[in-house]
This record gives sequence, C-alpha cells and structure tokens, in this order.
Amino acid sequence: MVDEVKVAEKTEKLESLRKIDDNLRLPSVPERIAFPKEIGVSAARMQTPAVGQRATRPDGRMHGLGQTKYIDDMFFPGMIHAKIKRAGIAHAKIKSIDVSEAEKMPGVMATLIGSEIPVNSFGPSLQDQPLLADDVVRHAGDGVAAVAAVTEQQALDALDKIKIEYEELPNVFDPVEAMKENAYKIHNNESNVYATKTIMKGDVEKGFADSNFIFERTFTTQMVEHVPMEPHASIGQWDANGRVTLHSSLGRITLGRADIARTLELPINRVRVIATIVGGNFGGKNEITTEPIIALLSKKTGRPVKCVFTREDEFISSTTRHPFVMEYKTGMSKEGKIMARKVRLICDGGAYCSWSETTLGKACILSAGPYNIENLHVDAYAVYTTKTMTGAMRGFGAPQVCFAYESHMDDMAAELGIEPLEIRLQNAFNEGSASPTGQVLEAVVVRDSLEMATERFGWKEWQR
Amino acid sequence: MIRRGKGVGCMWYPIGFTVAANPSAATVKVNEDGTATLLTGTVETGQGSLTVLAQIAAEELGVSTDDIHVVSADTDTTPMDTGAIASRTTYVTGNAIKLAAENAKKILFEVAAPLLDVQPNQLEAVDRKIQVQYFPQRCLPIADVALQAQFVMGRPPIGSASYNPPTVGMDPETGQGKPFSTYVYATQCAEVEVDDETGEVDVIYMSAAHDCGTAINPMLVEGQIEGGISMGIGFALQEEMLFDDKGRQLNPNLTNYIMPTSLDMPEIDVDIVENFDPTGPFGAKGVGEPTAVPTAAAICNAIFDAVGVRITSLPATAEKVLRAIKEKNNSEQKFIPAAE
Amino acid sequence: MTDIALIVNGENKTVSVPPETTLLKMLRENLNYTGSKLGCDVGDCGACTVLVDGLAVNACLILAAQAEGKEVLTIEGLSTLEKYHPIQKAFEDVAALQCGFCGPGMIMATKALIDQDQDLTKQEIKDALSGNLCRCTGYTKIIEGVVDAYQEITGKKIPATKPRVA
Repeated sequence: MVDEVKVAEKTEKLESLRKIDDNLRLPSVPERIAFPKEIGVSAARMQTPAVGQRATRPDGRMHGLGQTKYIDDMFFPGMIHAKIKRAGIAHAKIKSIDVSEAEKMPGVMATLIGSEIPVNSFGPSLQDQPLLADDVVRHAGDGVAAVAAVTEQQALDALDKIKIEYEELPNVFDPVEAMKENAYKIHNNESNVYATKTIMKGDVEKGFADSNFIFERTFTTQMVEHVPMEPHASIGQWDANGRVTLHSSLGRITLGRADIARTLELPINRVRVIATIVGGNFGGKNEITTEPIIALLSKKTGRPVKCVFTREDEFISSTTRHPFVMEYKTGMSKEGKIMARKVRLICDGGAYCSWSETTLGKACILSAGPYNIENLHVDAYAVYTTKTMTGAMRGFGAPQVCFAYESHMDDMAAELGIEPLEIRLQNAFNEGSASPTGQVLEAVVVRDSLEMATERFGWKEWQR
Repeated sequence: MIRRGKGVGCMWYPIGFTVAANPSAATVKVNEDGTATLLTGTVETGQGSLTVLAQIAAEELGVSTDDIHVVSADTDTTPMDTGAIASRTTYVTGNAIKLAAENAKKILFEVAAPLLDVQPNQLEAVDRKIQVQYFPQRCLPIADVALQAQFVMGRPPIGSASYNPPTVGMDPETGQGKPFSTYVYATQCAEVEVDDETGEVDVIYMSAAHDCGTAINPMLVEGQIEGGISMGIGFALQEEMLFDDKGRQLNPNLTNYIMPTSLDMPEIDVDIVENFDPTGPFGAKGVGEPTAVPTAAAICNAIFDAVGVRITSLPATAEKVLRAIKEKNNSEQKFIPAAE
Repeated sequence: MTDIALIVNGENKTVSVPPETTLLKMLRENLNYTGSKLGCDVGDCGACTVLVDGLAVNACLILAAQAEGKEVLTIEGLSTLEKYHPIQKAFEDVAALQCGFCGPGMIMATKALIDQDQDLTKQEIKDALSGNLCRCTGYTKIIEGVVDAYQEITGKKIPATKPRVA
C-alpha cells in the first residue's frame, strides 16, 4: 500500500528544492569549495634542524581535503575525451583498419591510427614498441586506434565501430619455449632473447668441487600489476605556435618529454610536460603511453583532449612485473658457508622491451643475495612473449630473486640443521665486502638489520 | 588445524640506475625574508618526496621545512631530473638539492662575512641565522642577510647544481664493475598461520628493519615500509594476472585481481636501522622499492616453518599450499588420523 | 535529460543530466566536486565513496537519479571555512595518505563509521575500510588516523589490542 502522506511529503520537498535556485542550473555558477581559511602548521615543519623531523606534508593536507587536482580532475574549456581501441587478440598481422563508421558516430571529432604518427615507436632502452600498432599486434592489450569524442561514453561507443581485419600469428606465451631456436620470432629478430647479462666471479666449478653439499631448486614468479589507484591519465593541448602542453601522470617528465618529441618529430622545446600530482606510480608510470596520441588528436581537433585509462586498460596495456624462472644451484660447506652459486634467470619480457633490460641487469646483480660468495656465475635472459608487456615495478627484479635466494637459503639451512638466522649471519656482507660485481661495499648494515628485525620479532623466544 | 610459523627474508638493493647516467639538477632561490623556493624536476608520486627534498634544502640553509616552497614537475620551469624511479629521489635529487642550496648559501656567507668581520668559510647557517662557527652569539638573522644580498649588494642568493651517482661500467664478459653508487639493506620477519586443511595462509605479524641511511623524515619512511609490505603480501599470496589460451587477461579488474585490503594487513613493527652514508645528502640513501622486496621471501619461509612445504612458485595461494601439503603427506606416507 | 533535485554538502541543487549518469559523474562533472575519485567505475575500489543520507555508498554504483531528494555529503563538505574536520586533520598529522587518490573515499568511509556512534575496536575499523583500496600505505597509517579521529571526535578510547607474545 502506498503511504500517501509520505509521497505527498516527498513531492512537497522536491518541489521546494526545485524552486529554490533555478539559476544554479547555470554551469558558470561557482560551487562552494569549503576548506578552512586558516590551518596551523605542525610543529615538526617549523623546527630546525629540518632533517630527522616527522614533518607533515602540505600535499597530504590537500589530498585529505579533496583539493588535489589529479589529471582527471582538470577540465579545460572545449575539452573532449579520447579512448583507445585494444586489439583483443594476442598476436596478429593487421590487414586493414577502417575507422570510417566510427567517425560517423555521434559526438566523434577525430580518430587516429598508428600510421598517422610521425615516429610510431618508443621505449626506454629499445624503441620496439608502437604507440598504436599499425603492422603487427604483439599482445592483446596493444592499442590499435584512438577516438576523440565529446563525451567519454561516445568515444567508447565509437570504438566498437572500428573494423580491423587480422591475420592470426602463432602465440608464444612461455618464456622458456620462446627461447628455443624453433620458436616463432615475435619481432623478426634472430632470437626472442633480446637482452642477456652475465656475472662471473671466482671459479664456480672449483667452488662446487670444494663444497660438501650441492642444492638445486627452480623458482618461478607470476605477473603482477602495479594497480595505482589513479589510472594513467593525460590531457594534451596543441597551440597556435605548434607547441603542445601535456598534463600527464608521468613519473619522469624530462625523459618523457624527449620521447614525446621524438615520436611527434618536434623539437624538444615545443613540448611541455606537467606532471602535477601522480596518484601512485610504483614504476608503472615511468613511460609515455598515450601522450603523443592525444597530442595529435588535439592537433586534429584544435581542442584540449583528455585520455584516462579505464581500469581494464590499466591492467592489459600498461606495464607489469616480470614473471621470472630462476634456477639456483648452490654449494655449501658442512658448516653452512656458501662456497659457490650458479644462477640462471629467465625473465618473461612480454611483447616489448620497456624496462626489461634494466630489470634484468638489477636482478642479475642482486640474485646472489646480500651474502659473501666468492665463486659466482649468473646468466640472465630477457625474452619476448606475446603477453602484456612487462616493465619497471617496485624492485626491478629484486622481489623475484629475493624470493628465490631466501627460500633457497632456508631449504639449505633446514638440510644442514642450521638455524635460519645463524646461516644468514654467517654469510652476510660485512663492511668492505666485495659485491658480485667486485664493488667494495660501504655503509653495510645487513647484520644490524637481521639482528634488529629478529629481535623486534622475538625470534629466539618465539614458540609455535 | 591452524599451524603457526616464522620466517625471515633479508635483502640488498641499489640506489639509482645500473651504470647508466641518471642525473638530477636543482635550483634553490633564497627569498628576501630567508625563506626559499626550490625548483626540482622530480615528480611527487605519493611517496612524500617533495617534503623530504624540502627538508634537505632546509637543513642546508639552516631553516625549517616550512620555510621551503617546492615547485616541481613542469618541464618549462623545473630543471632536468631523471624522475621518480629506481629509489633514487632522496639520494640523487637530494644530493643535487643539497649542492644547489650550498651554492645559494655561499652567496649569503659572502654577504654576511664582512658584516660579521670574518671570512665566509668561518660561517654556518643554523636555526634561521648566519653565525660564526663556535661563536653562535655573533650572528645575523638569515632574513637580514638575504635582504642585504638582494637589494644592497645586488647578489640574489640563487644556487643551481646537479648530481649524477658515480659508477664504473660493467665488463660485458664478467659483469665486474661498480654499477651503483650505494646500496641499502633490510630484513623482514613474518609470522603466519597456515590452515593445513584449506591451505589458507594468514600473515598475522611482520617486523621490518630497513636501512635507508639517515632517515630524513622517519614518519614517511615508516609509511613507505608499511606500504611496501602490503605490496609484498599481495605478491606473496594473492596477486596474479591470469590469461586465457588466447593470451587475453582473465582478470583485468579489481574484482578478480585480488590486491590486499585492510583485512589482509598484519600488525607491523617498523625499525629504521641507524646508518650514515657519507655519499648521500646528510647521510641519506633511499627506501622506496626495497620495502617490497623481502616480504614474499619472509612469508614463504614462514609457511615452510609452519607446515614444512616449500612454495617454489608465487603466489602461494591456498590451492597451491594445500596441494603441496597433500603431496608432502603422500610422499611421507604418514599415518594421518581420520579425525583431529 | 533528467532533472534531479538534491542536497549536496548542505546546499540545494537542481541538476539536469542524461538518465544514465552516475552520481559520481554528476558530482564531478556537473557540480565540480572532483574530490570524489573515479578509480574503477564498478564499485571495487571505493575511491568514490560519498555519504547519501548518512550512509557510505560508492557514487559510481548509483545513478544520479537515485539520489533525488537525498542529502549527499562529499569530501568537500566536511571542513568549513572555520573548522578543519578532525578526520582530515588526523589523516594529515600521521601522514595517512601518500598519493592521496584513495583519501577522499577513505575519509568518507571513516566518517560514516564514526557517525554510527558505536564503540569501535581496531578490527571493526579494518572491517569498515575493507571496501576502500589503497596501494601506497598498507592501510597502517590510515587506521592510525582513524583511531586518532575517533578518539578526538567521540572522546572514547579504542581498546588496546592484546600485546603480541612471541
């Protein structure tokens, strides 16, 4: 039964609300933004000396008040929205792209395909990645076309009207398979291995011969996404002087600017990158993504163009953490001293190089752990596969190898009957230890950190 | 049955790029009232770097953090910076800022020296004052000196500088060389509960002791460590991008890609290992990435301690742990009581 | 277009939007309240949490039309020109927010929790915030901020958790 009194009350309330300020329909009326006129400054910010103070963050205050302007919070007059069409197919030759239907969709102001980009390649070490694939798609998240429309929804709707003909190519998902000679060559190179690193120190074979025990184990890790809470976002504005201003969630603007200028064939001084506040990076926002695309869409339409990744874009098209296959072989003395170690690292580099070379290098150097090992041999390979590309992510290969060398350490400790803390203290770097690359280490506090963390934990007293 | 275990993970991690140049430049402009504006090309991506960098500039100028205003992340106005990557901001950008502030301070000292009847190298900047070393009562407020410099001497106190970590290239055959200027070290310990009937792992406590050289801002260092641990827990137990046989991701959303929530977080105790790196700004190194490095190792070692199975493939999901427990029980052919 | 009348941050508003517009989009694009963030658009991340008639909701999951006649409170409506809201102050003081993108949602979820005026434990705080994802902080300092704000606002103490025995 309908409660007539309540309905009447509600109608009355709504009517009164409607009558009050009809002129608030006008978009030009500024909204009330309330934040305190005066807020005190925390004592720690006022103290000298400044170093060592628990100083609060002025930007932290803005975050809490909701006043921080991330890219998506910026609106410029006449701004339109761009969205990227993803391939949805992991490996294929593009036979044709037809955007004519999409261009007829309501609100659509421009489209862009890879062949319209002056230099359609980028990458921090190898320039092997297209901004929009125009010849071959190498992973399912590859962008193939872009649409700029009045609203985001119109841009998304238009993406569905883009017609692309593909000729499927063989997929290579497993990095170990991809290394084999007969594997399909994803980038038409001699091999899918695109970076190798080696470290040799001492004589591993002799070290193994001198060992009382040999331990071997293979470890693997998975692909992980950064998940910054703010998806990648940028706004491009091309101006009458042929200069482009990009507001972008980019963690390294100076080098990003050079990459953008290169792809657009512009002098670097015609590109301005402003990064404002980035809503989480973790390594995932260290590369350009759509910036040149929206610059060109802005040039085509004469309007500011905003592109914000959907959460799905963020997963399938941005970089991720490399899966690793890590083969460890370690020789131990019966007292628990590491005599020799041989490591083979295979890093699933995904479809494009991105930061894989750097990741591989760091993983290679760090793979022995913070331990004195006189005889060491590490071989490391980065391999193309037709999966989402992998790049920098908090640790550059270190979380993977740390999982392996520390798991391996406990395996050996258990076999030798040595306490896990003891075996680490016995092998840990000292002040002046030589690293795997022969670098003499200074300000070394491995032992202190081991002792501090285990003491806080109550390691020795701990009972099951 | 719930089984408890403890595990330790220890790590080392470098600051900055591997061999490759990764410079930072900075400009410090001291205003007429002794406050200063800092120009840096680095980007605030959440870690609080702008506050830490302000503290470094403030320390060098002998003023407080609040006296420094930071302008960042605009290629038209701020100097070159390699960016927020490789845990390099505090160390590399920090060093550039310290040097830039030192250059600005040099002008202040040159202006103040005749006023205090000493040589510039006998001065120091402490507590918003320029004072004679060992004779702190002979001093001038930094504001007076800055004003004097600007409008009487006509020498605006502005300093610029850059820094690039010194490295030695690696031999291509053997990898021998000095790829990084410095490293940090850390240990994390985990206490877990493993349900040996479901394979479910619950991290209930973690202790973490991280070296970051001097902690410029201990509160922000703690925040980095706690955040790194949560990312490490995701890496260890939950997160995995899954693909179908066509190479399309099956879980490109936060519904099915399981990242840690507040309920997945254990109690955490954070310690900062006291250390001083003479090559860093005021002894500081860095802390960003290393915090996420040893967590998975500590957790997997705790699982090993709890139920005796070695997880060799991450993430250690309940299914994987349970399978490993079953395999272990089968291979040991132990008598398993029907009911517990 | 649909005409929607509602109260946002204490002010009467009438907005005309296409019927499929979510409350989040209307707040951000029509009313310029960009404090509520779009992190996933499907209710997973909680960055868009606002209060509708005092209840915490994901503004991306309800249509603007569903807020007709209701009172909506966003992050911009917490502090006034005169007073800094204790939750926002507590979050600032302990550096609870890093990149800050989850912050407005976290703070609104916290407000809804504290407004329930119940005796809280640390576990209940964790439960209440479990729908708000954060990638930077590991939630530790956020929970610290919530505890401080709760104690400041209600004058109550969070019961101390049992000390850990190693």
